Amino acid sequence: MTPLEILSATVSGQPSPRVPVFCNLLDQGAKVLKMPPKAYFANGEYVADAQLKMLKHYGHDNVWSAHYVGKEAQLLGCKDILFADNGVPNVADFVIKSWDEIATFEIPEDITQHPHWQVMDDCLKILRDEVGSTNPICAYVTASTTLPVILMGMDKWMELVLIGPVDLRDELVRKCSLFVQKQLTAYRAAGANVIIYASPFGSTYFMPKKRIVDWSMPWMQEDLKAGTDNIVYYGGMAPINTVMQLVIDTLKVNIFYPAPEDDISESKRLINGTGLTSGVLDDIKMIHWTEQQTRDEVKRIMRLGKAGGHFLFGTGFMPLKLPEANILAMLEAAFKYGRYS
Amino acid sequence: MFETYINDYNEAVFEIDKELALEVIESALEEGVTPEQVVFNIIIPSIEVMMAEIVINADTNLAQHFMTAQIAAEVTEQMLAKFESPPDIIGRVIIGTSYGDLHSLGKRIVMGCLKSMMVDVVDLGVNIKAEAFVDAAVAQDAQIIAISSMMVHTATGEEGSLKVRSLLKERHLEDKIKLVVGGAPYRFDHELYNKVGADSWAADGVTAAKIIHQLIMDGKS
Ligand code: B12
Repeated sequence: MTPLEILSATVSGQPSPRVPVFCNLLDQGAKVLKMPPKAYFANGEYVADAQLKMLKHYGHDNVWSAHYVGKEAQLLGCKDILFADNGVPNVADFVIKSWDEIATFEIPEDITQHPHWQVMDDCLKILRDEVGSTNPICAYVTASTTLPVILMGMDKWMELVLIGPVDLRDELVRKCSLFVQKQLTAYRAAGANVIIYASPFGSTYFMPKKRIVDWSMPWMQEDLKAGTDNIVYYGGMAPINTVMQLVIDTLKVNIFYPAPEDDISESKRLINGTGLTSGVLDDIKMIHWTEQQTRDEVKRIMRLGKAGGHFLFGTGFMPLKLPEANILAMLEAAFKYGRYS
Repeated sequence: MFETYINDYNEAVFEIDKELALEVIESALEEGVTPEQVVFNIIIPSIEVMMAEIVINADTNLAQHFMTAQIAAEVTEQMLAKFESPPDIIGRVIIGTSYGDLHSLGKRIVMGCLKSMMVDVVDLGVNIKAEAFVDAAVAQDAQIIAISSMMVHTATGEEGSLKVRSLLKERHLEDKIKLVVGGAPYRFDHELYNKVGADSWAADGVTAAKIIHQLIMDGKS
């Protein structure tokens, strides 16, 4: 079976030879091509090339589009991203500098005409042609209730959400939701078949459950109203076990990518033999592990999650500082302990 | 007498109801509580109750930490203006985010809690070089350098906490100035603070204030 077939068999509960193995290598691509990250991410062909090289080298299941979260901000007018040679890109220019600017903030009519989308499109075109029929192609969309963070900063957004005028808050989320919907359509059309829907404000690490029910959920329903196909609910590495049932019932999403601190047995209990949940390795801790510790952790994750299927093994957004030996040990162990025999 | 205020106030903060929290303070003032008492007998103890609560019940959320810091800092500022005489400041902290890091919320929450506990906080802002932290600490006679980092490379990078540590060592300041770190990567790897040369760390803003307060006190004795 191809990795794509293994993934769909896992979701639908059909027999499959092993647990799907996701390894999220994004910034590593620039290193592979020995390029500065800024130049690397500016060209979809480079990203696709590096993704395919890494797929070959490591043998994991998934590839990534030309994604970094700043890209979403750029599609909405952000002028400056702080690229780092040793780490992840960061939004350095906030599109909305004060609450007053929310009124005039607009979502482009057709995001696919934007030069920054072109890069994405170029990348996805190559990935689709090369591995579209065999491997999951991942895209990343930030939920409307979280997106304002990269438009105005976490500080200002938290303030607006918790103590600001409700009308203004919802005016911004409404615009963001429109953008989310446009992105989902565009990604699906471009051939992404796994969409990571990142919703930290839909995690009880951020918000009390009641707020999630009353406020985050309705907006997420709006985001996903065109359908929940291929949507993976992700808390941005904030825990989500506490909202899983709510998401299943309200959003009708049943594919989850929890945080390392979410209890795997509990996630499995919650999905209750449908859809999929993931055992996510803490790749920040892995930086300082030995190869043996890495293998032991993979073994532990598989032991907890593998039985009964509907389970995927995954990582966070692999920090660049990770030793190559640990990445290899992790993947070797994932294929070894993830086998169904 | 203060217990009821503390309970009502904390309940409001926990429910993220700023108006209600401010009403509690308002009615305390109306009932004759002095601005000094508001700070020392309501706000500070309520933060302490919150600290204890976090230890027992790990399920607090960021919204609650934000509100704790935000309201406490706001009320304290208003009250300070009405104090009969300026209060004794316990110590001074230099705070900022590490070089290359633009995430400012963690810092803001930590600052809010510290200010209400009568710790003077000097905010250097975001994207701060190691030298600037140390220079400011020396110039302002601070006991603590506090660095917030939301990304692995800014937490563990050569220009961050590691460099602050080596500068402190180089300038023989290690006895005088303690280094405290926090932010997402430290919450994933609880040993990380050690690896970046920090003296301590905290998983949330309220606990951060507690730890920093303790370090200042330790330094005095
Ligand atoms: C919300 C979130 C997002 C949101 C918003 C990001 C933003 N700009 O603020 C979205 C979805 C947009 C996002 C995007 C990205 N994110 Co993000 N995100 C998170 C998440 C869930 C929370 C981070 C956050 O803002 N917390 C708010 C702070 C205030 O909360 P806190 O850490 O709990 O703060 C408390 C304590 O840490 C402590 N504290 C804080 N500072 C200090 C200082 C001192 C001195 C002390 C004592 C204590 C202390 O007190 C605070 C208050 O209680 C974390 C994972 C996690 N579970 O934490 C990942 C995380 C920070 N993100 C990560 C990454 C990689 C990214 C992206 C780069 C992904 C990508 N490749 O595009 C982008 C970058 C976006 C950008 N900035 O340009 C990584 C960073 C690690 C790394 N690899 O370097 C994390 C850790 C997730 C992971 N494990 O992979 N993210």
